[in-house]
Formats: sequence, C-alpha cells, structure tokens
Amino acid sequence: MDRRELLKTIAVLTGSVVIGGELFLSGCKAKEPFVDTNPIITDTSTGLPKILTAAQVALLNEMADTIIPTTADSPGAKAAKVGEFMNVMVTDCYLPANQKIFTDGLASFETKCMAKYKKNFESLSSAERHDFIISLEKEAKPFDKKIAEDDKIRESSINKENDIATWAQRKEFVPTGRHPYTMVKQLTLLGYFTSEIGMTKARRHVSVPGKYDGALAYNDGDKAWSE
Amino acid sequence: MPEKYDAIVIGSGIAGGWAAKELSERGLKTLMLERGKNIEHVKGYVNANKEKWEFQHRDERTQQMISDHNVLKRDYPLNEQTYGMWENDKQNPYTETKRFDWYRGYHVGGRSLMWGRQSYRWNKWDFEANAKEGIAVDWPIRYDEMAPWYSYVEKFAGIQGSKEGLEVLPDSEFLPAMELNCAEKDVKQKLESHYKNNRKMIIGRSANITEPKPEQNRTNCQYRDRCWRGCSYGAYFSTQSATLPAAMKTGNLTLETNKIVLRVLYDKNTKKATGVEVLDAITKKTIEYKSKIVFVCASALNSTWVLMNSATDVWEGGLGSSSGELGHNVMDHHFRLGAGGTVTGFSDKYEYGRRPTGIYIPRYRNVYDDKRDYLRGFGYQGGAGRGTGQEVAEFTIGEDLKKALSSPSNDWYINMSAFGEMLPYHENKIKLDKTVKDKWGLPVLDFDVEIKENEKRMRKDMMNDAAEMLTVAGVRDVKMYDAGYAPGMGIHEMGTARMGRDPKTSVLNGNNQVWDALNVFVTDGACMTSASCVNPSLTYMALTARAAAFAVEELKKGNI
Repeated sequence: MDRRELLKTIAVLTGSVVIGGELFLSGCKAKEPFVDTNPIITDTSTGLPKILTAAQVALLNEMADTIIPTTADSPGAKAAKVGEFMNVMVTDCYLPANQKIFTDGLASFETKCMAKYKKNFESLSSAERHDFIISLEKEAKPFDKKIAEDDKIRESSINKENDIATWAQRKEFVPTGRHPYTMVKQLTLLGYFTSEIGMTKARRHVSVPGKYDGALAYNDGDKAWSE
Repeated sequence: MPEKYDAIVIGSGIAGGWAAKELSERGLKTLMLERGKNIEHVKGYVNANKEKWEFQHRDERTQQMISDHNVLKRDYPLNEQTYGMWENDKQNPYTETKRFDWYRGYHVGGRSLMWGRQSYRWNKWDFEANAKEGIAVDWPIRYDEMAPWYSYVEKFAGIQGSKEGLEVLPDSEFLPAMELNCAEKDVKQKLESHYKNNRKMIIGRSANITEPKPEQNRTNCQYRDRCWRGCSYGAYFSTQSATLPAAMKTGNLTLETNKIVLRVLYDKNTKKATGVEVLDAITKKTIEYKSKIVFVCASALNSTWVLMNSATDVWEGGLGSSSGELGHNVMDHHFRLGAGGTVTGFSDKYEYGRRPTGIYIPRYRNVYDDKRDYLRGFGYQGGAGRGTGQEVAEFTIGEDLKKALSSPSNDWYINMSAFGEMLPYHENKIKLDKTVKDKWGLPVLDFDVEIKENEKRMRKDMMNDAAEMLTVAGVRDVKMYDAGYAPGMGIHEMGTARMGRDPKTSVLNGNNQVWDALNVFVTDGACMTSASCVNPSLTYMALTARAAAFAVEELKKGNI
C-alpha cells in the first residue's frame, strides 16, 4: 500500500483530508513555525525545540493507545511512539494556525476529561478512556462536517475568482483546520501504520520481495502488506 | 590554454548520458559537464534502503520543504524519500506569465534517476502527423529510420514488456514482461473482448530489467518499487547504472560536476562552435573548454536557455534563433484525469512484491477508422491493486479499528489515467527574463504556455472513455476524475529547438544539428517537433545515439 493510499484511507475514516498530506495542502504558504514559549522537548537531530511538552506527548501516547491498542499479535500506538511522532509532525509539518488548534485542543481535552470524570485522562480506566475518546469522536464529526461545508463554499468562490484572474493574481485555497481530535486520530493512524511496529507486526512487510506474484493465494485473516 | 576535447556534452541526464557513452565508445575524447553535484551509483543513493519508519516525517512534507520548493510542492515530487534529488526552487527561480510546473534534477544523472521509466516507441503516424495535418512543421525523419536506433538503445538499456505486434505501439527489443495481476487480467480479457481487440490492455513497458545484465553489473528488479530513490541493484536504467559506467570504461570520458554552462562559444568566421564557457558553481569562476563538437543535452528548456545565451553578438535571440522558432512550441503531455472503480471476485487473491510498472492502454483514437473532433490521441497508464482496510462502523476505535486497518480490503481497485498528446503551438513559448536572476546572477526563463481547444476537447474523451472501458469490463462503482492539469506537470518538456527540414522554420536539421552551427547537436526534449502521446525518454535515447553516430562520421569526414 503506498502512502497516498494510506492518506486516502485515513481521510475516508476521519472524514477529513490529512493535514500535511501532499496534494491536499500543496498550496499552503509556509510561515515561521510556531514555537512554544516554554518548550521542553528538543529534537535531537537539529537541536531545535519541538512544540509539545513531555506531558503532552505522554497524553497523546495514551490517547493514541486507546485508538490503536496493544492486541494479541502486536503492540499498540504507545509502543510505536506515536506521541513522539505527533510532536515532530505538528512542529515541522503543520501550519501555525493548525499548531494552535492542536495545542489548544490538547488543553480542552484535559478540561473536558476533568469535568466529566474528575480525573485526568491518564488516570481513567480503560473503559472510561474508550468512552471519552468516543465522546470526542462524536463531537468532532458534526464539527468537521460544518467546516467541510463552509470550506467547499469558500473554495468554490476562490476558484471562481481564479478563473478570471491571471496566474500571478490567483489565490491559494488553504483548508480550515479540523477538530483537534481529528488531527490526533489522523496522526495516530498515520504514525502507527508507518512505524516499524505497525508495518511489521500489525501488517506484513517485506523489504526486498525479489519477485512478483499477481495472484498470491489469500486466506481469511492474512494481514495486509504495509506498502 | 583551455583544455581541448573532441566533444563536449552539456548535461548528464538520459540524453547526456547516451551522448557521452556513444561519443566516447566511438573514440572521441569527451567531456561531460554537469551543473550540479555528483550522486555516485549505489553509494550516493542515501535513502535507497531506508524503511518508511526511518524517515523522520514518514515521507510527508515539512513546512521548510514547502517553503524551499514553491514549484515542486505543486505535485508529488516534493517528498521526503527523494528530498535533495530535485533542485531547490529558491536558488533556481523562473517566472510564469502563465503557470508552468518545472520540476528539475540538477545533479549527475539528472532526472534519469527519478524518471517513471515508462518506455515506448513512437509509431510511424507520430512522425507523419504534422505533415498530414498541416500542423507546425514536418519531422525530418520517419519511423523506419528510427527503428534500428530504438533497437540499439533498447538492447542496452533493458526494457521489459510484452510483444503485441501493434502498429500503434511498435514492439521494442524486450526483456521478459512483468506480470499483470489477476484483477488486471480479468479487466483486460473483458475489455479486449468487448472492443474486439481494437483496444488493448498490456503491461506498462518500462526500463526495469527482468534479467540480470552482468556485463553492466546490473541485477534484475527486486520488486521493491523504490526506484526513484536510486536503485542499489542497478535494476532500472539511469545514467549512473548504465551509460556512465560504459562511457567511463572507454577511458575517453571526463566528468566535471558543478559546472554551469553559460554559453556555447561560437566563431562567426567558421560558423562553428569552438567550445563552451562555464561558471564553476563552487569557485564562481568562469572557465572555457574547447572542443570540436558540442552536444547540448541540458534538458529541453535548459538546452534552449544555453542556446539563447550563445552567439548573441551574431543573433540577438541566440544560437538557433534565426528561424524565429527558438523557445517556441513548448509541449508536455497533459494528464491527471481518468477513472477508477472496484474489481470484485478476487478476494481469495493478493499480490506479492511491489511491481514498478502498471498497465498500459495504447492509443486507439484517430487511428484507422476512428475520427474525433480533435487531432491526435492519448494512452492510459494505471493498474489494479487490492486496497487496505475493511470498512468499520461509525465511531469504532480500539481493537476492531486496528484489525480492520491491518487487513486488506475485500475487493481490488483499478485506476486508469490518460496521457494525451499536446500540439506544438508557436505561441507556447519560453523567453529569457533578464529582470530576475538566479543564485548565480544568471537570467531566468519566463514561461507562457497553455493547453488549447484541441487538448480540452481530447480531455473529455480521456475521462469518459476511461469510465466507459471500465464499465464494459465489469468494474463496479466507476468514478471519473479530473484532478486538473498545468503544463509541465507531465515532466515531459519538449520542443523549443525543434527539428525540421527548413532552416527558416526549424532550429535543428534531421541529424539534430543546429542549422546555424553544424557542430552543435541538441538531442534532448528540446529537439521534438511534435509530442506523440507516449512517454518520450526512449525516443531521446534513440535520437541521441543516432546523432552521436552521425557526428562521429561527419567529424571523420571533416565535414564539421
């Protein structure tokens, strides 16, 4: 499965295009990345600060592990370090507006969790975690639907203007950021199924196939290829 | 004293690599100049053996990448796995009177490292169409003259494909064909039977070798489908895997990197080139190299850029501009539309291995008795695969979601995407924009290119026919799409220094010689007089090998 297909699958599942996904946001104007004033985590390869705090990464790992848990055959999202992956992606690949939605969203998750359970997410039982994530799913869906509808109108009006504009005058359509839970879910699925654990344990991976068979016998329960 | 060579080759991509190989094998002391850095075969393919999880952003784009590549970001070439192999748009800007997507590879091997590898011969009608239809000018060559040169380059490069005996898509010298998968075979059988074999679905012919070539130190394809990162097995044709080592083996080739050619040096008394002037990208010094002949293979539009900057004391518009056609007739292949749908009945089958090619449907429009309201035609590329992920109910997370996403989908999906011929229009042009300079202070190109009525009419068929063919082949949930096209996106830039029969209307003659300087040859995409609808690289290889053989003969005879 190529990465375009993975992005498509995630887009269909979450009802929203994947942020940072090529061809979807290809027209974005780059700005200086937003940097948290109080960063804790540093990217070892560049020495530059990453946006999320260690506590936020830990929370994301727990949330992601509820979405993609450890099962009999393979470890889950937390083991695949999906929280750390999200920190890299939000820092390097998200536009500032989406970075803000994401970090504000994390704070709102915690507020909602405290209001509902009087406990933070990490202290919830696994049944409570499941219910809480489902409540976010239910909140995100109509929220994103409304954005999608508004975006469609905005995009078509930009397209109309562009139709009569010269190439230099054309405006770029930048999709509105979706619900922060949708971002978390997208990054969970993307991060997990491109991780070594996701690719080699949850799915099957052969680095050097050496041959091609276009009619390999498939038995029920056989796993998908990871690429 | 400047260094003296028999031949200078500007550029090291598909055309430049072939020129270097042919000229050095025929005994000429040859200098190949590359404007960018070296990428050594195998050693230089830094991402070739990485797994996806080893890419920090898992092959997605960072805002930094987007910011550095304001052109490349417009389509798929901007990604993490090939990052660094496409040039930096900020350092190499250009201007757009109309949108033109120019995706360039500034390093040894050029785009031969990142090409799609699809390899098709032109047919006899492709070379005749301009003359028959009164479009642009006639090609000065015909298929019969090209056929032996196609054979010659195919045997060396290694093209896998199936013999079909089609007039519209002549067979190459094939290595054993890669296999269609079960869903593709099913669609093929139904489609061909419905159209009584007037439309065919075949394996996409590609420059991936299916048998080892030990004499070239190349291993057969390992079905990793990571070609564009550079192949450690040398399993696809590139300058690095094939032509460069052959040229080096002769002892006649010198390769110089980081040398940006500024102009071809022209002697107005002898009416011949005497060499080239280059800018060293590292030392910023200019250097002259002398030679008896010059092969301009800098990629179509950059080859024309070099000509436009040459001999300007004689012709204001540069070498080859006396015809009024230099920089004109820009072509590409227009595409990004077609249809896809679901193939049912193969849930007990899957694929093993990642085949680096797909299916091909050769042109059938405006051939034989078919007549449409536009000229020329199109072919389809695509393929079928079994998708990943089972459907899940709304609000499913946890074990059920994980299992669904770890399983293949029940059905297979097939997609076909059309590639159409674009006519050569004089008004589709590039010119020098001296108000904008690149990193080295050199004037940039300005683009004024668009598709016109003929292409727009063709695009209706390109989309509708795809849906119709899939439907008659029993494909379900067929959906058409048009993802939009801007010239250049095909990365098949052609024209701007076309071949022809008359120096008044063409830049090059039938042997790729510049009419105004017969020891200068242009053999890359710039020389194309029309575009056909098939991928062009194989034709550049054949034209280059043919021109090189001719150049050496002429040199021996003292004619140039």
